[in-house]
Amino acid sequence: MTTLSPAPTLPAPDPRDPEDRLARFFDPGSLRPLAARDTSGVLAARGTVEGSPAIAFCTDATVMGGAMGLDGCRHIVDAIDTALRERVPVVGIWHSGGARLAEGVTALHAVGEVFAAMVRASGRIPQISVVLGPAAGGAAYGPALTDLVIMGPAGRVFVTGPDVVRSVTGEDVNQETLGGPDTHGRRSGVVHVVTDTEPAALATARRAVDLLAAQGTFAGVADEPDEDLGALLPEQRQRAYDVKPLIGAVLDEPGLELHPRWAPNVVTVLGRLAGRTVGVIANNPLRLGGCLDSASAEKAARFVRMCDAFGVPLVVLVDVPGYLPGVGQEWDGVVRRGAKLLHAFAEAVVPRVTLVTRKSYGGAYIAMNSRSLGATAVFAWPGAEVAVMGAKAAVGILHRKKLAAVPQAERDALHAELAAEHERIAGGVDRAIEIGVVDEVVEPAQTRRRLIGALADARPGRGAHGNIPL
Amino acid sequence: MAVEEIHAEMVSSVWKVLVTPGSPVAAGDTLVILESMKMEIPVLTEQAGTVAELHVVEGEVLQEGDLIATVQS
Repeated sequence: MTTLSPAPTLPAPDPRDPEDRLARFFDPGSLRPLAARDTSGVLAARGTVEGSPAIAFCTDATVMGGAMGLDGCRHIVDAIDTALRERVPVVGIWHSGGARLAEGVTALHAVGEVFAAMVRASGRIPQISVVLGPAAGGAAYGPALTDLVIMGPAGRVFVTGPDVVRSVTGEDVNQETLGGPDTHGRRSGVVHVVTDTEPAALATARRAVDLLAAQGTFAGVADEPDEDLGALLPEQRQRAYDVKPLIGAVLDEPGLELHPRWAPNVVTVLGRLAGRTVGVIANNPLRLGGCLDSASAEKAARFVRMCDAFGVPLVVLVDVPGYLPGVGQEWDGVVRRGAKLLHAFAEAVVPRVTLVTRKSYGGAYIAMNSRSLGATAVFAWPGAEVAVMGAKAAVGILHRKKLAAVPQAERDALHAELAAEHERIAGGVDRAIEIGVVDEVVEPAQTRRRLIGALADARPGRGAHGNIPL
Repeated sequence: MAVEEIHAEMVSSVWKVLVTPGSPVAAGDTLVILESMKMEIPVLTEQAGTVAELHVVEGEVLQEGDLIATVQS
């Protein structure tokens, strides 16, 4: 009779082990290293994500804190160039203190070559970064040059660390405050998605790879049920609301929201519509009344250019009162940064359909994928307003003298009457259709059916440009 | 015990105040409704808890960044 001896105790695997991290990223059993493991501080491998081939590299935090030297950088450049040759996504998993000091300028030169490889591949293959530990100095700009940056709870991204900051500026700050998830997810916009755990960060990267690499095709609309999406907006037209439930109802299932806490007055989501990957851009009236401002215009512009570069069609949900007025905005460069959104839409060759749900005013009307910027189709829900400004505000300016001439008691009635008249001739959706800036009024229940139809019928396109991190 | 500070995101006037200090709130509840850009904009709490402080009254004009309320969870 045999007795069971206790299992031999193996040393606990180091959670920072790059092979282990890559194995957790790829489909089980699919990992094949591109080169044998060495002391370079980087491991690169090929594998599959939901069955789609992809390349990934991971800095080796178990060697010199993941610091990058010549040999490690060569592995990264090779990984990116291999992915580019094979037209597959490349994912970087980062945990690195930056360039190897002992190698001096040799290491800086090598890190620069990584950046150059990323820019060569920009807009041609999806590049996704997952920051799981510190990514300092050179390692900070690696993720920043890619299309999407995902950060786990221990992720820290900064150019100079707390010690240098303290010695130069006297500011006393820890790594997390300087470059942790809250800082980059909410304040700086460096990070697109923040996750609570490391496995969730890797899972989010897998989702992004799947959405961008296996985009699918639009299913037919014959079986599309009618669902009254209009019920997701408040009855009072002046009342702000959260647009995310509407986006959720337009998509097949909840999508992957990018930059959820940074510039939240515009919402950008990658998801699937009738099975095909699409990008959704929507004003969110709950935040800043849905106004566009400098940060949200920049956020949307970068998203539009990324989708265009990878051939992802766009759905633009518009409910915008205008640009946010204010000295702060003008000094913040709302003109320069807002121009990016105009440029991004006007340049885009992917099918892109606009739906005005409630209102679209002024300069923001133009910026939100208007007909003038080349929208594939522009739909509006019944009662939507497309105008330079709200009718009441417009007649207050146009008929200031007329209004001032009547007694106070009659002024409100006259104002309302003039506003109704003005809306009929200048702001109503009928007028917008007449001059060809809106194609059609679409019943809310038909929204999905019509969006799918318009995008599926349009000629597919893919912009021939890089994806500079605007 | 976390305290959430809720600040005004933009210049606006306070149209309606829906809570008082001590009110229990759930995540996503509306605390006050602001008026700006001709719109009524609800201000929500992200976390559940109790309204600890309320710094605004109806009709008051707020500047960007003004503290509206704190919620203690």
